[in-house]
Amino acid sequence: MMTSYRNHLSIMGLWLLAILSIKPSLGAGLEQTGECFESRDGMSQVDVHESAAGVVNVKCSPETGGVLWWGDPFEGTVPMGDMEVEADYWHEEAVVKPREPQIDRNKMLTICSMACHNGVYVPIPYNKDARPLKMHLDIIPDAMNLKHGKGGVWCLDCHHLVDRTKLIDNFGYSVSFNQPQKLCGKCHGQVYRAWRDGIHGKRIGMWDQGGKKRWWVCTECHNPHDVEQGDRNSGFAQLAPEPAPNLPKGMTNADHERMHHGPDKGDSTH
Amino acid sequence: MPNQDKSKEKESRPTTRRDFLRGAGNYTVASLSGAAMLLADPKPAKANITWAEHFQKNYRLMTEEEKQEAIERLETRYSEEYGKKVTVDGTPSIEGVLFGYALNIQKCIGCRRCVKACVAENNQSRGDEQQIEWIRVLRMEKGNFSAEDRDQHGYPESFGVQVGGNAYKPAGVVLEGQHYYEPEQVPEKDAFYFPMQCMQCEKPPCVKVCPVRTTYRDPDGIVVIDYNWCIGCRMCIGACPYWARRFNWGEPNLPKEEMNPVTHYLGNRPRMKGVVEKCTYCVQRTRKGRWTACVEVCPVGARKFGNLLDPNSEIRKVLAKKKVFRLRADLNTYPKFFYFMD
Repeated sequence: MMTSYRNHLSIMGLWLLAILSIKPSLGAGLEQTGECFESRDGMSQVDVHESAAGVVNVKCSPETGGVLWWGDPFEGTVPMGDMEVEADYWHEEAVVKPREPQIDRNKMLTICSMACHNGVYVPIPYNKDARPLKMHLDIIPDAMNLKHGKGGVWCLDCHHLVDRTKLIDNFGYSVSFNQPQKLCGKCHGQVYRAWRDGIHGKRIGMWDQGGKKRWWVCTECHNPHDVEQGDRNSGFAQLAPEPAPNLPKGMTNADHERMHHGPDKGDSTH
Repeated sequence: MPNQDKSKEKESRPTTRRDFLRGAGNYTVASLSGAAMLLADPKPAKANITWAEHFQKNYRLMTEEEKQEAIERLETRYSEEYGKKVTVDGTPSIEGVLFGYALNIQKCIGCRRCVKACVAENNQSRGDEQQIEWIRVLRMEKGNFSAEDRDQHGYPESFGVQVGGNAYKPAGVVLEGQHYYEPEQVPEKDAFYFPMQCMQCEKPPCVKVCPVRTTYRDPDGIVVIDYNWCIGCRMCIGACPYWARRFNWGEPNLPKEEMNPVTHYLGNRPRMKGVVEKCTYCVQRTRKGRWTACVEVCPVGARKFGNLLDPNSEIRKVLAKKKVFRLRADLNTYPKFFYFMD
């Protein structure tokens, strides 16, 4: 998946160059173009452009490529609509960013589900034991890297058996990629309730009651295939941090703050 | 001869109060003519603004008209200076709102995006010469300590709370966490991260010590500064137990193209040399209903913000359902910034 994603990126870059060479109308100070990522690098990309006169939709970090500032928090969002959220918010004011375009950035969703995974050509596996499927390693290099549910969960517990454009919940109902919380919440009920209350997860936009809010859904932050990713097993993949503050003038390194002082220094292991 | 004597007498006489006043009057005339020269500057608008700005009152004591005048003066000056339309907002606090902030220290990964988002939003000085960041993220080491440690050695050094010290041994240096950590990837395995910024105390020590009362607490709980009235004595910096305040030691470096033109008088308008600044919960955003820049940019959603007086707000739900603490609650500053864990 990564290789195709990179290919896609380079194509995107060429496109951007082409667009830029035709349209050099962005004002001074809005030189920022390209894309940056929200929470998951590669799976939550935003294209930088002018959203209103003289305002960019996002500002990106030049060091890490992460989103650093939101000019327009609601860009590309759709009303959350029919999703049942038993929370104290006005549902019509809640918006989400559809996940399908992100997942489909390299057209895998469209092409694969049209060509083969349409329920006709590919036989349905008889062995329903949870296991990573050693298939398509050329386009999905991390397919063997399934770490979810401590070995108890596998592909077809979440992905629709015959329709690869859909997810499936534990009652067999199909779930859109845009509303993964309907699936995830079936097991992770406690987190789901916290998310509904706005304690877990992220929202941007307006803080006031009744104000428009963009809710972030599960897969915008978590990688569902490798949720234990990261050294800390925190459910969140590791990121490159933004640069440290400048050292005070005259100081050449920060060794002072890495040293352990104290009365016991030297005479014990502490 | 008597006349001569009189003149001599006048010369030898020490300066009386009347003479002094007359002399001072002459000086005033001189300075006024200086002002006239200022006004006759090729850029008269700018000179006018600077002059009027110099003599304006403390923002809190201004009438509505005076506030409006001050704001318009600033808008004109900033727009000229930064080459774009700069708005200065004077929105007062909203009725029935008390802002509160909550940060999940279990979720924070120490990526410092909040720090940089704050700089982009709030027009801090940047660059090598003078870098100002309102948020600091401390890296704390994880550690273990046993009852034996506690009794025999005091708290272990790497615990990040206090180094050494018990009934028999003196306390050592407090390990305050690392500012300058630079791993390739965060979060690291053996660390947690502790962001700090202005806590918007209910009883702010900085407000207590300000000799000119230029910093004060607004009804929505935000502690603000009128930069024009600040004399730069830095008493507030010394008084703040949370290291929240920053001082403009030199002329701030704010590139024109990076300047955020949506500003508030008490918030992110460009500052000058010699004044103190700090986090204002993005007053220019939050009084208009928008979340702060740091809340919006946190990639893990560790930051929560809302109205403490609204029982349905996220912040109230955090307070009701999570384990919450406030930093240095023993100081009775009653911060409106809470830390919580899952």
